[in-house]
Amino acid sequence: MESQPLYILLCSEQHEKIQMAAMMAAVAAVSERKVYVFVSMGAIIPFGKTTDLADRYKGGVFSDLLIEKKAPDAIELFKQGKRLGDLTLNPCSMVMDILAWDDGDLIDDLFDEPLGLTKFLSDAETGQFITL
Amino acid sequence: MAERTAIDARGAFCPEPLMKLIATFQLIEIGDEIEILTTDKGSVNDIPEWVSKVGHTMGDVTEMGDHWSVVVIKAK
Repeated sequence: MESQPLYILLCSEQHEKIQMAAMMAAVAAVSERKVYVFVSMGAIIPFGKTTDLADRYKGGVFSDLLIEKKAPDAIELFKQGKRLGDLTLNPCSMVMDILAWDDGDLIDDLFDEPLGLTKFLSDAETGQFITL
Repeated sequence: MAERTAIDARGAFCPEPLMKLIATFQLIEIGDEIEILTTDKGSVNDIPEWVSKVGHTMGDVTEMGDHWSVVVIKAK
């Protein structure tokens, strides 16, 4: 039986939540599930091309540990999920408008077209929905 | 004759051992084996779960003191 698609609504700029989203998205994608990630609100900031690498993630003790222990980088996990599975990431069109960003402001080779929340929610009716 | 590819993922945290395994799967032939070495106990459970879900074949899982050896055979 084919697995349900997984829809992840990622709104938090917190490192732990972005890491969890990346882990779930990558593992589900390589496990033959379709995965759709909608990145909105403050969560988009770490995906900015010009965001300072040393200051990319916001978080507390656990964020520091993830970096110190060299846990897999969240953005690299998303890229692996795209390369090895069926993973789609869409930036929220509203936050792109507010930031006056276009595709060129986002990290290369990661995102598909900006998407509206209504379309994402409509599509997500067919699958499992997780918010972070 | 089946070939075996070794991946040393000792020191890597979840889900990196699994992701390394899957990336390597794309490079080998059906019937070939991958032996992955890992210190991540979660991966020792996660890899067989992934193998079962996507239809490959598990080989031996061996505790080697401070790490595990997990063997997977490409079945499709």
